[in-house]
Amino acid sequence: MSERVPSDLDAHSGPPASRTLRGAWNGEAFRARLIQALRIFVRFQSVLGLVIVFVAGVLITPRINGEIIFLRPANLGSLIQSISEYGILAVGMTFVIISGGIDLSVGRVLGLSAVVIARLMMVSAWDLVPAVLTTLAIGLIFGLLQGFIMVRLRLQAFIVTLAGMWIAYGIGLSLLPNQQFIGITFGEGPNHAPAAFQVLGENLWGSIPVSAVIFLVVGLLGVLILNTTRFGRQVYAVGGNERAARLSGISVTKVRCLVFGITGLLAALAGIVDAGQYNFGNPAQGYGFELMAIACVVIGGTSLFGGRGSMVGTLAGVLMLGTINNILLLNNVDSNIQKVITGLIIIGAAALQTVAGGLTGSVGGGTPARRGAGPQTQAGPQTQAGS
Amino acid sequence: MDVVNPGTAGMQPTTLGAAPKPDEGQPPAILKLSGIEKRFGGIYALRGVDFELRRGEVHALLGENGAGKSTLMNVIAGVITEYAGSIVLDGREVRFGSPAAAQAAGIAMIFQELDLVPGLSIAENLFMGREPGRLGFVDKARMRAEAGQLLDQVGLSVSPRRLVGDLRVGERQLVAIAKALSLHARILVMDEPTAALSSAEVARLFGVVRELRDEGVSIIYISHRLEEVPLVADRVTVMRDGEVVGTVDASTPQALLVQMQVGRTMAEFYPPRNRRAPGEDVLRLDRAAFTPYLFRSGYQRPIDISLNVREGEIVGLAGLVGAGRTELLELLYGIGPAGVWSGTVEIGGRPAQPRSVGAARRLGIAFMTDDRRSGGYVPTLSIGHNIVLTSLLSLSRLGFVLTRREKPVVERVMQDYSIRASSPDALITSLSGGNQQKVVLGKSLVGTARLLLLDEPTRGVDVGAKAEIYRILRRLADEGLAVLVASSELPELLGLCDRLYVLREGRTVAEFRGGAEEDVVLTAAGIRLPEQDSAVTQDSTLVTQNGITLARRETGS
Repeated sequence: MSERVPSDLDAHSGPPASRTLRGAWNGEAFRARLIQALRIFVRFQSVLGLVIVFVAGVLITPRINGEIIFLRPANLGSLIQSISEYGILAVGMTFVIISGGIDLSVGRVLGLSAVVIARLMMVSAWDLVPAVLTTLAIGLIFGLLQGFIMVRLRLQAFIVTLAGMWIAYGIGLSLLPNQQFIGITFGEGPNHAPAAFQVLGENLWGSIPVSAVIFLVVGLLGVLILNTTRFGRQVYAVGGNERAARLSGISVTKVRCLVFGITGLLAALAGIVDAGQYNFGNPAQGYGFELMAIACVVIGGTSLFGGRGSMVGTLAGVLMLGTINNILLLNNVDSNIQKVITGLIIIGAAALQTVAGGLTGSVGGGTPARRGAGPQTQAGPQTQAGS
Repeated sequence: MDVVNPGTAGMQPTTLGAAPKPDEGQPPAILKLSGIEKRFGGIYALRGVDFELRRGEVHALLGENGAGKSTLMNVIAGVITEYAGSIVLDGREVRFGSPAAAQAAGIAMIFQELDLVPGLSIAENLFMGREPGRLGFVDKARMRAEAGQLLDQVGLSVSPRRLVGDLRVGERQLVAIAKALSLHARILVMDEPTAALSSAEVARLFGVVRELRDEGVSIIYISHRLEEVPLVADRVTVMRDGEVVGTVDASTPQALLVQMQVGRTMAEFYPPRNRRAPGEDVLRLDRAAFTPYLFRSGYQRPIDISLNVREGEIVGLAGLVGAGRTELLELLYGIGPAGVWSGTVEIGGRPAQPRSVGAARRLGIAFMTDDRRSGGYVPTLSIGHNIVLTSLLSLSRLGFVLTRREKPVVERVMQDYSIRASSPDALITSLSGGNQQKVVLGKSLVGTARLLLLDEPTRGVDVGAKAEIYRILRRLADEGLAVLVASSELPELLGLCDRLYVLREGRTVAEFRGGAEEDVVLTAAGIRLPEQDSAVTQDSTLVTQNGITLARRETGS
């Protein structure tokens, strides 16, 4: 029985590993090893995918005088810059999805936040710091409210954030003064934004875009919070079994509100980055980013049913999509084909999860007590041996 | 329904219903399995199993979880199609390629998790996929009429229009049986049909089972509950580790059956009672009533509860399903609906009305839910992470969980509750039911609990794990914990508890000390007790059941 118990990958178990090694030619042990390898692969599928894609990028992108364009710091910088906005959204989305929810409003909240910060600086002539803080606060409150409404009115996250998507877009549009967007110009005096805001569109040390740095910092914070804090544990517990979490004394209301607070806050941050990069506040910005973020989370191996997933996977998923698009771009592949490829990758990643889940029994849990219940997963030609 | 004529064998069986005697007058075997073998990977689930089911008998199948009962039934019902050995049905060798083929041959299986659609009506469930009617239109009147007849047959007096989702578990069970009957089943396989039923529902089910048997249906009855065997079965086959230990008469003493199952004697089943005097009241309710702000139908609020639980004491809560046991426990743990208490509710000597789980836990109350899967653990987390769920606050600083504080807690719980697992990092779903239950129990008690509330603590765990859980509970009580156990298994309450209260319709109607006769408790929970007696205290001594004296039932002193 202990042979079949799937042990976690983190468990660097000494003796059992050597035991399996010795019996590597035995059919059972080989099967166990195969399953173990598959589990590792699935758990880190996006990380491995990223490595593969990166190597492919080195091999198949064009070169100039033997220099690989793909590896140029400027190219890698712009690669990360291109994914930074929905990457930031994906970090928040990972929290929400692991907690068992979904947030469709983030794209529109991004647009709203871009308008808010542009308006605060250009129309209301606020200073940089209060403008940024206010914008972040608005995003945070918007998210918290969505979570609160969900819990109190017992509505599904899908419904509430679908509504939130419209509301954020509507507010964003209504903040526009008779234009399509609010342009941001820099300089002294009225109708000029503080020059410091310009930094968002610039590079550090010559080739590292500030927006990329913001994304990476947010991602690392996300990893830290999800993996090491009490709140992170609670997010997993609420997503895995809400009632059990509640009976354990975890405030499900608080956790649910907070995860949506996080997506709201990060959407506002992404909106500020957007305004800083493009120098305007446009409520149409960020449209569709919510689906890109969800795609990255799924590619990263997080279950849409909640309770399972990893932030590292999400980050790798984001970088993988960015790298693929970058490779296609460098090879002059039609940008429409890029979209098709993104779709295929989502299907492939999800299919891998399902196939491997069925093989290893990690989804339903292949307990010995219930082994009679799952004969279809256990094709056993050796059963005829006795007759 | 299809009644099999037993006359074909030449001799009319005259001993139907009575305990079978050897040799003479035996009805012929309707189903005979020989040498059934099934492996999953390298593990034998079944090892040369021989099994014989006679026409018109109720044949109980006993065994711990993992003994191979369910696998064997899946072979019979055509769910498992790859096996070695032979199945002979009515003298002809058969090999079912699918559950549908087995069903067509008259074998119906009623699963633990009933395959009914909660959103459809009873009638629609009964005739799913074969609705009476014409040209694709369902003849609803006819369907309901036929459904009504089937429901009569199983003694269920509810409208066939009712949604299955609105029925109680016991009622759903009867609907599932009615469905099997409508399929003209000659062999009925029932997998733990009483797991979630109250005593009254069990009695009704047994009546139906006996009637079916007398009509010539052969029934294989899988159960964890030994005490049911003599009540419902004619013969018993005991399985252990994928093999048949033996087939015996149903009147075989329980002690022997237990031994056959686990190789352990009954005397070790319930731990010895507390010898020391119990301490202070940890929980005291006096004429306590709860009024929710919003009334829901089907919610049995506590109306008049008077009870106390002291340090070092295990107190039982008996009563039918719907008597308000679960509601009472949940309210005490702060997870009931919003509302107000009247009367006295004291926890640790001080008036308290926990309104949230957090508040209840701060008062030192721990709770273990009756449904392990829906509320006991988080299936996506590891064993260790499940164990520390209740104590994350004390294991973290500045919001970060400290691994060095977490690890010893996990190790201690796994040791204290003898949880057998390859590693604390393994998923909790990789454990057996009994070990999962121990994790849930251990988890709920991390920290400083002084009152433990348990709802059906041994539901769905095997005999060996039950004994272990009883021992753990007694040890906890000996360490000073006050324990309040609600259970629909009376022998369990009688064997385990120092005292027990009987609940009926939200009221405590009787209190028993020491061992109490099962019949008395049934009376108290049923309708025979006078309405006005709201707190009867009775002492009685010995528990006997069908002439078998259950071991370890000394009177509490």
